Amino acid sequence: MTPDYADLWEHAPGSHLLLDDDGLITAANATFCEWTGHAAADLLGRPFTSLLPIGDRVLHTTHALPQLMVTGRIAEASVQVIGADGQRHPALMGATRVTAGLPAPETRVVLVDAQQRRRYEEELLTARRRAEESQARIAAAEAALTELVHHDSLTGLLNRPGLLHALHGRLGRWGADATGPGTAVPTVFFIDLDGFKAVNDGLGHSSGDELLRVVARRLEDASRAGADVARLAGDEFVVLDDVSPAGTRRVAARLLDVLAEPVVLQGVEVVVAASIGSCAAEVPVAPADVEGAADLVLLRADTAMYRAKAQGSGRWEAHVPGSPDPAADRLVLLEQLRGAIRDGELRVHYQPRMDLPTGGVSGVEALVRWQHPTRGLLQPDAFIDAAEESGVIRDLGAWVLSEAVEQAVRWDAAGVAPGLQVAVNVSARQLADTDLVARVAGVLARAGLPASRLVLEITETALMHDPESALTTLQALRALGVLLAVDDFGTGYSSFTYLKQFPVDELKIDRSFVAGMTTDAGDRAIVASCVHLAHAMGLVAVAEGVESPDERDALVALGCDQAQGYWFSRPVPADEVPFPAAVGV
Amino acid sequence: MSIDAAPHPTRTAAGPVTARLNVTWTGPEDGPVVLFAHGFGCDQGMWDGVLPHFSDDHRVVRYDLMGYGQSDFSAYDPVRYSTLDGHADDILAICAELDLRDVTIVAHSVSTMMAVMAAIREPGRFRQVVLVAANPYFLQDPATGYDGGFSDADMTEVAGALDSNYFTWAEAMAPVIMGTPEAPEHGERLTASFCRVNPDVARQLLGIMFTTDYRPLLPQVTVPTVVLQARADALVPASTAGYLHAHLAGSTLVQLQALGHCPHISAPEETAAAIRAHLLTT
Repeated sequence: MTPDYADLWEHAPGSHLLLDDDGLITAANATFCEWTGHAAADLLGRPFTSLLPIGDRVLHTTHALPQLMVTGRIAEASVQVIGADGQRHPALMGATRVTAGLPAPETRVVLVDAQQRRRYEEELLTARRRAEESQARIAAAEAALTELVHHDSLTGLLNRPGLLHALHGRLGRWGADATGPGTAVPTVFFIDLDGFKAVNDGLGHSSGDELLRVVARRLEDASRAGADVARLAGDEFVVLDDVSPAGTRRVAARLLDVLAEPVVLQGVEVVVAASIGSCAAEVPVAPADVEGAADLVLLRADTAMYRAKAQGSGRWEAHVPGSPDPAADRLVLLEQLRGAIRDGELRVHYQPRMDLPTGGVSGVEALVRWQHPTRGLLQPDAFIDAAEESGVIRDLGAWVLSEAVEQAVRWDAAGVAPGLQVAVNVSARQLADTDLVARVAGVLARAGLPASRLVLEITETALMHDPESALTTLQALRALGVLLAVDDFGTGYSSFTYLKQFPVDELKIDRSFVAGMTTDAGDRAIVASCVHLAHAMGLVAVAEGVESPDERDALVALGCDQAQGYWFSRPVPADEVPFPAAVGV
Repeated sequence: MSIDAAPHPTRTAAGPVTARLNVTWTGPEDGPVVLFAHGFGCDQGMWDGVLPHFSDDHRVVRYDLMGYGQSDFSAYDPVRYSTLDGHADDILAICAELDLRDVTIVAHSVSTMMAVMAAIREPGRFRQVVLVAANPYFLQDPATGYDGGFSDADMTEVAGALDSNYFTWAEAMAPVIMGTPEAPEHGERLTASFCRVNPDVARQLLGIMFTTDYRPLLPQVTVPTVVLQARADALVPASTAGYLHAHLAGSTLVQLQALGHCPHISAPEETAAAIRAHLLTT
């Protein structure tokens, strides 16, 4: 029996079509007609692509047909077939194009209903799209977080991390081919307001905040669209932009102009002029050097700003390349200083403090020195300001304190000067450090030195920087039993109201008055007042910087209690301190 | 459809651009240059049928669009290829790397506008531009009465089809072994993959192609052009060829008897003959 191929064609499990090379339908089987609702007669001569929705038609035309024509075959193309009622029937399409043994090429199409498969595919696809969206959302959330971390909440400007990020980006992107004379290069304009503290003190913090917001808006408005504007801290702002050397003056002038405009705060017209220092980055920068270059250009602009401020309000100064560069030196210095603390290059020298009535040594002041590997023994004025500004002072101060206290114990053990007091300087930053009291207590406890043998010297300026918190710290130190001295007395602007409250034990009269007291009646009067004031408050008066017997005699005549200075002894290493005999008498 | 063995061996270059875009060439090196740019949805194999009609007396150069065929997908930069400019740059980069001069570029479908861009940018590089099944704007523009063949609703459909066929497309990227006894002449080449397409790339290119209006480019073309239009092209209305002819100064319009969007595949003899008949000689 011959198989009934005609019946197999008509009622095959799959839908079948035959197409000619023009894509017109030449035959459709019964399965196809039942599945789609089309009558076979309507299909004949109709383009196959007219049964496809337009999207599938495009894909079929551009992808399936070329493949079919060239390779003779396509497999499992996912299409939808439009039924007689307009319904779409998902299907997988396979086709072969047959040329051999036929008068004209014929394309044989098989379509398999793929409702279920299409549903799976759509679910998978939805899941994929959802995953893509959730990745996009995570990226957006990260971007928002970065935005938050990089911005100042008060003004909406970039903050210091944000500015550094922007500066690193600009320096890192800078191409080596972009340089040349007159090219715009990343330039930092460091802006410091001149009258901000007066506003904050006079009109209150909310007015101060308002002022900062006004300044922020003005700086933004005065800057180009591509510029980065930042508030670093307090009243310090930075504008960062790519500026040509010739354009720098113009930008600075525009910024000064907008800041010179009065601001009305609580009905009061306030004028806050600013000082601006600028510095252009030296580009290109090697990728590894970007961070250092960013720090350097900021420091140089900051330094230039201080030069501008020193000349008066409302001025601009640019960093001058090739000139002595305190900023660069300072960076190098700080790096070396960190190493010096680590590597034991620091020394403590001791200057004896004399009891004027008896001529005996009552104590020593510990003074730090740096045995620099190439520059020799450095005095504190060569590095202490940089240390203080950078915060290195914390480590440095902690080391000096501990070394001095341990030395006192060693002297005790040697029996050279029983009961000797050791004075150690505490800087403004150390004073503001919340760990100070605990650290002092710890050092004393470890060394086993009675607290009353330690004198902490704090400058008048440091005390007055934030008198209220200084008072709290001094009270806590006093509670330990440590003695406290006001250093450089007379050079700052002491509020006697505060001074009276501070639990201090000594006033150290600044060397500048002592130096002039034998020749200048005014200086002599100041020293006399300081001694009287000290005594009136029940404090010990100590004169610094005594360099001659005349000065010593004058101090004795004024009733000053103690003195130190070159006349008695320079600061010397611990084993050279002149114990026990009095010197210079 | 019969393809004779190429009389000259196909060579591939070692330069970075030719490697990235799978540039191949054949024919006499001193022959006039014909550069074939394939259209949306396939690769340079699309030109197999017309190639033998040129390779005797022309230096025939072909390549795969970035994201298609054997191009280096890892070099695909979605930003660079977010407009056709990136692809047009590729054409110019191929010409520069192979030092092709006086080039006749034969471009199909989406590549036609890339060829137009390249010819505008470096007119001195090209002798002639042949556009096969070109459509400078697929949508309708009621203001000028222009009809590119597709409505906005159609566009949404097309995008949807790309999405729903995603997995099929992804599968199509895998190499396919073609057992095609009906077309044994293709056997050898087709053991490799054919029409390999990265679906994400295709989605981006189709989006660009269907939404960008390239009509303003046409008057800027100074290189002589030939416009080839087949009958019943599902992607290019009959009126479009007339529009191109009217807006490409000094162009030649050739109406083919072939049907569909890919006359170089469905009727390679006729297409090749039409191109040859209009080739300019120096």
